[in-house]
Amino acid sequence: MRFRRLLLGAVGAAAIAAVLPASAQQKQPIEIQFWMGLAGASGELLTKYGNDFNKKQNDYRVVVSFKGQYPEQRAAAVAAFRAGNPPHIMQMFDAGSGDMMSARNAIVPVSEVFKRANLQFNPGDFIGPARGYYGLPNGDLLSMPFNVSTTVLFYNKDAFKKAGLDPDKPPRTWPEVIQAAQQIRKSNAAACGYTTTWLAWVMLEQFSSRHNLPIGTQQSGRGGLNAELTFNTPLHQKMVQTLVDMQKDKSFDYGGRSNDAAAKFISGECAMLTQSSGGLGAIQRDAKFEFGTGQLPYWPEVQGAPYATTIGGASLWVFNAPNRSADEFRGIAMFLDYMRSNEVMVDWAKQTGFLPATNSAFKAMTEEGFFQKNPGRIVPILSLIEGRPGEHTNGYRFGRWTEIRDVYHEEVERALQGRQTPAEALHNAVRRGNALLRAFEKTAG
Amino acid sequence: MQRKVVFSGVALPYALLAPQLAITLVFFFWPAGQALFMSVLQQDPFGARVVFVGLDNFRAVLTDPDYLASFWRTVYFSFAVTVLAMAPALLLAVMADRVVRAAYAYKTTLIIPYAIAPAVAGVLWLFMLNPAVGVLAYLMRTLGIPWNPTLDGTHAMLLVILASAWSQIAYNFLFFLAGLQAIPKSLLEAAAIDGAGGTRRFWTIVFPLLAPTTFFLLVVNIVFAFFNTFGVIHAVTGGGPAKATEILVYKVYYDGVIALDLGSSSAQSVILMAIVIVLTAIQFKYIERRVHY
Repeated sequence: MRFRRLLLGAVGAAAIAAVLPASAQQKQPIEIQFWMGLAGASGELLTKYGNDFNKKQNDYRVVVSFKGQYPEQRAAAVAAFRAGNPPHIMQMFDAGSGDMMSARNAIVPVSEVFKRANLQFNPGDFIGPARGYYGLPNGDLLSMPFNVSTTVLFYNKDAFKKAGLDPDKPPRTWPEVIQAAQQIRKSNAAACGYTTTWLAWVMLEQFSSRHNLPIGTQQSGRGGLNAELTFNTPLHQKMVQTLVDMQKDKSFDYGGRSNDAAAKFISGECAMLTQSSGGLGAIQRDAKFEFGTGQLPYWPEVQGAPYATTIGGASLWVFNAPNRSADEFRGIAMFLDYMRSNEVMVDWAKQTGFLPATNSAFKAMTEEGFFQKNPGRIVPILSLIEGRPGEHTNGYRFGRWTEIRDVYHEEVERALQGRQTPAEALHNAVRRGNALLRAFEKTAG
Repeated sequence: MQRKVVFSGVALPYALLAPQLAITLVFFFWPAGQALFMSVLQQDPFGARVVFVGLDNFRAVLTDPDYLASFWRTVYFSFAVTVLAMAPALLLAVMADRVVRAAYAYKTTLIIPYAIAPAVAGVLWLFMLNPAVGVLAYLMRTLGIPWNPTLDGTHAMLLVILASAWSQIAYNFLFFLAGLQAIPKSLLEAAAIDGAGGTRRFWTIVFPLLAPTTFFLLVVNIVFAFFNTFGVIHAVTGGGPAKATEILVYKVYYDGVIALDLGSSSAQSVILMAIVIVLTAIQFKYIERRVHY
């Protein structure tokens, strides 16, 4: 009996205590959920930007969460959207853009978000390749480019010296890479000459852009959902054949589909590596040798080559939800405005290997002499602006691209294993990829 | 003498069962129901366009050569994992049973691997066998073996089989040990007096009496190989290279989460559930008869 009274009294007190602070407090800041897909140092930096934004004002509170790598995060966002409560902003990787772009009722174009909030927004400030990738024909942006990267060639200067190659001259063309790799293998300066991370991104997407080849019809998918893939041209086959031939004597050693091959370069096993410019941080921190940076190699017989490379990385998408208020959208716009400011963009580009996504950030970094002090950092930017712009250097827009990348991976792996020719590999990849695009067209059209 | 716990009313037993029933309802029946529901639909990831397609998803899955290849691959994989997880466990249990000195130390050491989550076990083996930085891989290179699970499908399959079986050995060991202790010593002594050697005693007395344990572990191991090995595959090979390690449960994950093809993934999930139900039913019906209690 006494215990029951005590319990009742405690519950009553707790209830009052819960109600009091709420009535005594002023308006709570509106929460903005920002899901990002970067782990490690880059992820911590994004969390820091969220905290900095929160400190600057009291109306909104940005909550930065890591929900797993991009594919898992996207699945979580899909589930959240179906439950009626998606995050406000989500960082989505380049390959997922096609899927997001077709989900017109699920997302709100970034240009629209700024317009609703009456905030000034100039899409022209973002670098050309990013605008082309994430933009609409009328110049509006669907998502806001944030972490932009492109492919660069890292090479082991110490291994080059040992092999008798000039350590200050990175190979510029694929024949030069083949020759350097063979020399490295012959002199045993390293266990393998060349490897690559992100096989499909480098060997299919960036490769096509570098030689101004379309990946598919309808301007590589931008023109409509009925586009077909076309990446089984003789030049694409030649590239795969080169890898197959080089794999035989370890001039090239396959390092997996994503980032694992970077370990082969950092450990000194392979002397050359094509990698995202964002991989610079890990190399700088862990490589125990002197290394240099070069642009993505190209085949010199292609007329007009080298064309510009395209971008990779991720952009920020804004979700739509039935119960989202105008206030929340205003908060989203304010946070995105902060994220594209020089303050954030310059800091981000300096600390990570990602490129400055805005022209003003690039200008600011040039003016303060950053690129003079760090000559390797200008290389990825040069490959975007020095390379000739062509009609097919703006990237692609396909749904189910993550899957199509894996189809490419599987077929090229079979070719590397010697189970099929490169021609068969690419024909199979195109056939399977087209089947996926038709399935996507059915559900998204 | 049989001891049965008797409850005075019905409220308490139901209340005690309630948490487990709630968990089963929420974490099995609800998702299974959702999977069944989604398997007859075709929809875009965000749920904007939902179309009822009847059994089309099932038809597409069952006629897909990739799915059939994955099916046989899973059969091969679970057979390999089960054999590799049960045979050494039995051997170790028999040996550990005979040891008298420091028996506890041996048994504890042999049981510890079970406490490690499958994904962690996978990463452990990956680190040891990673072609670039692995200790065992380095050893193999010096011995002249071209170990390369990144490119060679057979090596990749071997790697995931090893990693999956390794953590299960401890679990099987535990059960076999308990089973061995239940065998009356008098039977073995009588056989020894009659002149039966160690091996003879094992195969004619111990093994048949271990049948209930073996049968139970067979079911558990096969279900483990079908489902719990997802963590290992995801952490170590991601289904590659060239689909060499893509087993059914991984395909369900890939098609659902990565490819966002919810209809196909749900259909595959339903088929997988049906397979395991049938397997378990067959085993209970036919193997149960051979079990001597």
